[in-house]
Amino acid sequence: MAQWIPNPLEQAGDIIDHVTFFRLSRAGADTEPAPDTIWWSVLVELEEISIDTLAARISDFAQDLVIPAAYDAEDRARSLPRQPVTLFARSALVAHLNDRSQDLGIASVLLGAETPARFLDRDAAPRDLPGIEVADDVVVQAVVDDGIALAHDLFRRGATATRIHYAHIFEAEPVPGGHTSLGRGLERAEIDRILAECTFGGMLDEDLFYSRTGQLDPAREVFSTVALRRSHGTHIMALAAGAPMAEEDAKHPILCAALPSRIVGDTTGLDMVPLLYLAFHILVRQARRFRRQDGTPAPVIFNFSYGNNGGPHDGTGIFATLFDHYFGPDAPRATAQEQRAWLTLPAGNANLEQLHGVVPEGASGPVTLDLCLLPDDRTASHVQVWMPSCPKDAQPDFARITVHTPAGQCGTIDTQPGAHAELVGAENRRIAWLAYQYVGGHTRRGLVTLSINPTADLTDDTALAPAGQWRLEIERHPGLSDDPIHVWIRRDETLPGQMPGGRQAFFDNPDYVRFDRFGAPLPVDPPDSDCPVRRSGTLSGFSCGAEPVVVAAYVAQEAVLSDYSAAGPLNPTPGGPQPPRDGPDLAARGDDSFVRRGVLSAGSRSGSWVRLAGTSVAAPQVARIARGDIARATGSARDWARALAQADGLPLKDDPGPTRVGAGAVRSAPGEA
Amino acid sequence: MSMGPENALNALNALNALNALNALNALGSSNALGAPGGESPLLGEALITNRDGIAGARIPDIPAPAPGLADSPQNLPRLSTSVRAAIFQAELGQSVDLSVEINDGLPTATLWRKTAERDRKSRTVTFAPMVEMTGPTTEQLVTQLRLVGSYARLRADRGAEVLSQIGVPTAFFGSIGFLDPARTPHTIELLYTALGFALPVIQRTKFAMAVKRPIEFSPQVQPMIATPTHGSLPSGHATEVFLMARVLWKLLRESGAPQYADHDNAYWGEMLMRQAARIATNRTVAGVHFPIDSVAGAALGLTLADHVHAMCRGGGWSSACLKAPKFNADDDFDWHQLYAAKGDKLQPEAGTGDHVYATFETHEAGGDAPPSPALNWLWQKALDEWRDPQPAAGR
Repeated sequence: MAQWIPNPLEQAGDIIDHVTFFRLSRAGADTEPAPDTIWWSVLVELEEISIDTLAARISDFAQDLVIPAAYDAEDRARSLPRQPVTLFARSALVAHLNDRSQDLGIASVLLGAETPARFLDRDAAPRDLPGIEVADDVVVQAVVDDGIALAHDLFRRGATATRIHYAHIFEAEPVPGGHTSLGRGLERAEIDRILAECTFGGMLDEDLFYSRTGQLDPAREVFSTVALRRSHGTHIMALAAGAPMAEEDAKHPILCAALPSRIVGDTTGLDMVPLLYLAFHILVRQARRFRRQDGTPAPVIFNFSYGNNGGPHDGTGIFATLFDHYFGPDAPRATAQEQRAWLTLPAGNANLEQLHGVVPEGASGPVTLDLCLLPDDRTASHVQVWMPSCPKDAQPDFARITVHTPAGQCGTIDTQPGAHAELVGAENRRIAWLAYQYVGGHTRRGLVTLSINPTADLTDDTALAPAGQWRLEIERHPGLSDDPIHVWIRRDETLPGQMPGGRQAFFDNPDYVRFDRFGAPLPVDPPDSDCPVRRSGTLSGFSCGAEPVVVAAYVAQEAVLSDYSAAGPLNPTPGGPQPPRDGPDLAARGDDSFVRRGVLSAGSRSGSWVRLAGTSVAAPQVARIARGDIARATGSARDWARALAQADGLPLKDDPGPTRVGAGAVRSAPGEA
Repeated sequence: MSMGPENALNALNALNALNALNALNALGSSNALGAPGGESPLLGEALITNRDGIAGARIPDIPAPAPGLADSPQNLPRLSTSVRAAIFQAELGQSVDLSVEINDGLPTATLWRKTAERDRKSRTVTFAPMVEMTGPTTEQLVTQLRLVGSYARLRADRGAEVLSQIGVPTAFFGSIGFLDPARTPHTIELLYTALGFALPVIQRTKFAMAVKRPIEFSPQVQPMIATPTHGSLPSGHATEVFLMARVLWKLLRESGAPQYADHDNAYWGEMLMRQAARIATNRTVAGVHFPIDSVAGAALGLTLADHVHAMCRGGGWSSACLKAPKFNADDDFDWHQLYAAKGDKLQPEAGTGDHVYATFETHEAGGDAPPSPALNWLWQKALDEWRDPQPAAGR
């Protein structure tokens, strides 16, 4: 019989990130490598120290640490009030980094994905990147995605000539003597060489090409969705930057980074943020190489078609601030301020997924969220409960949080430092972990995380969580803040082409109204509903920053916003007058029509076309339009985007409102490539 | 044939598949004009009463027909396709023999090419090794199982292809070269003739190799189609599709049609080989073959294509030596290592360093191997289907 144990860990207050703690404790529970041999990607936020200083402070763990070669000597020597850095570390070191009592100068820790050692090159060394002189009208396009079919004809200038200046393949094994700590970096000449090697009788053997780039290696179980007919990155990159091969398109060189597919059965949950940061860092360095005739850097447009449900949703989240870190006013390098850089992001597709709950001030009595945990969920589920902002040295006890299991056992914590509870099963093995932590920096909020084991596993030595209806009860203590408490369930589902594993948990409150009176899904919260499960506030946690252009999705033929397109508003920024945005900036085509879901773009092989839907496909269309305007635009990217939508917008029915559509819907014609 | 569904009726399916125009079966139904078939009691009764009604008294002075043209291909157009198939197999089937040696537990099968100096009733027979194939080690197959596991991830993507390619994948080649029973009946007949010849060769070689299927190496393979009962290496599908692809490519090249010319590039040839490779690989996707089975099958099929061509047209032939234990078991199947469509050439050597696993030689035609007149007739008829019609004289 499972039971909750209050505060079982004396040092819980020293844990910087409880999700990291939980995932580390689960790692190796049902996988082959011993837990202490597992390598992880991990994002740490350094506080007033440099990478070199950190390395010195953890020199006892030198064997457990890889500082990516993408960080050059200047990066490593730099000390800033806050700087996020992606590292690769073995479990013991991650635990050390996550221990506040070590006083390492680390403000936050975010555990990424398990990273098999064979994908790491511990000897990779940084290198200088020579400048590339380009014409004055060049605009660089940079894409981070997964499964990018580099050899597609839409990314080539000729049979054996690519438009891709640099591709970083995280999913490939590194080659000896390279300069990439994770995966493989391919310069344009290298891609051209492989193209030539794989061309026979005038035809490119693309299967062979991807085995030569390292993206596919069935003998080493290296898999990429480029092996499938449809791959996300190919589709997205073609929308952003594809061009017919016959047209000499030297004006838009491409940079790209392909994140790894789920190559390992990581049952602890998976966080891409550390690799996204590293990918961005790599592409930013590459983008800085492009210099116009007068020596100034060419403009660059980034597109990340990824989303995330978690985060404080107030513009201060670690991913939301990524762009600022590199291109904001306090960015470390002078060129960062010289280089005009825009970023397009999707709004997210979580509008109808019942992943968001709100507990407003003044709620009468405890607010209950029914958490439906699905059977056969092979990965852990994670829920975040974000408190109103408060200073670190005066953290009010905002609420009492109780978690009920389907069998009725309940565990409770207060929102106070060190508060935590553990659900254990037979032999005292951990099933769930409920804990409070304070997130400093600009965020300045308390965060309660609930982490729950998988509900199914094929091995018999895992403490499984019971599937069924769990219950979160949040009882606010009155008078402490007018701001609501927000709850988000983290993404946990199997994406197309990936290994089956996760099944998405969701809030299943009986008073949540899913359909309108005609039986159609309701895309907005009914005005008269008190249900705490909300569609509003589902905007991707990545897309809450002040700088990026955030793109919603619409259905072109019916001229309505896509039901799945996630919405604002956001949490107020701590210390700021208002949140950085109300929702997306504009909408672009996510679906051709109700029956022709998605839009056409490149399939994984040259000459093929496939459909993909979502805000993921809307964002790169805006990136494509932006490349014609970025050089002469005078305001910010968001000013440009909003003006674009207003100037020649597509009127949408039902007036979706600014929290869903921003300034309006831009006319975009996917497939024009 | 090996592409048929693997069940008790497989042998019947195999025979059926040999019949290019399926409706015409020697033992099958009558054709549309009601040619004597025999299986319809009603028709039989009707023909009897009909004769009684109209034949009349014996006619005394009917001129005798001319005698049949002995052993002449000119008779072939008047024969049903299944009768022709039997004749073609009589020509091809006797052109090979197979022997097996076992050294250190590894079998080596040698497919011999048989030629004969013919002098009326006397024969001086010569056997030359055409394909020498040594089976893989179990350790190699254990390594190759990882590739089978990886390829399983493509099943959802390729399920329709796998299922559609269980039988003879004529439609897939027909979507590259313009194959149609009305337009190219003799080409289809030629392809099925080649397949009919290959089937016993494949099955005899598989029997000699006795390589176990992936399903016997792990309970996690769980193929998406039934695993055939015959051995894994060489892959029958790979043998057959590379044989089909190369025979087709030879026809296209010989046709003289400008689009099929093999000057700077070899688009049709490349595409046909690409198709063959995809079908072969799909058997690994399905979980019934190791990639090394495709390597062996492709080597065999490509070599047999030259033999079929020599039997039909005369000219040179090729021999192959495949030493599977030399194949790097971490490697995947890559047909380019065996063959170049441009120039229709087998590569002299496949693999590198210690892993040279296949060699190919081409041989001049000897005086003891003239083309078979019957097969030559079939080849010419097939070739005519790819030649552009010429304007009539004087126009």
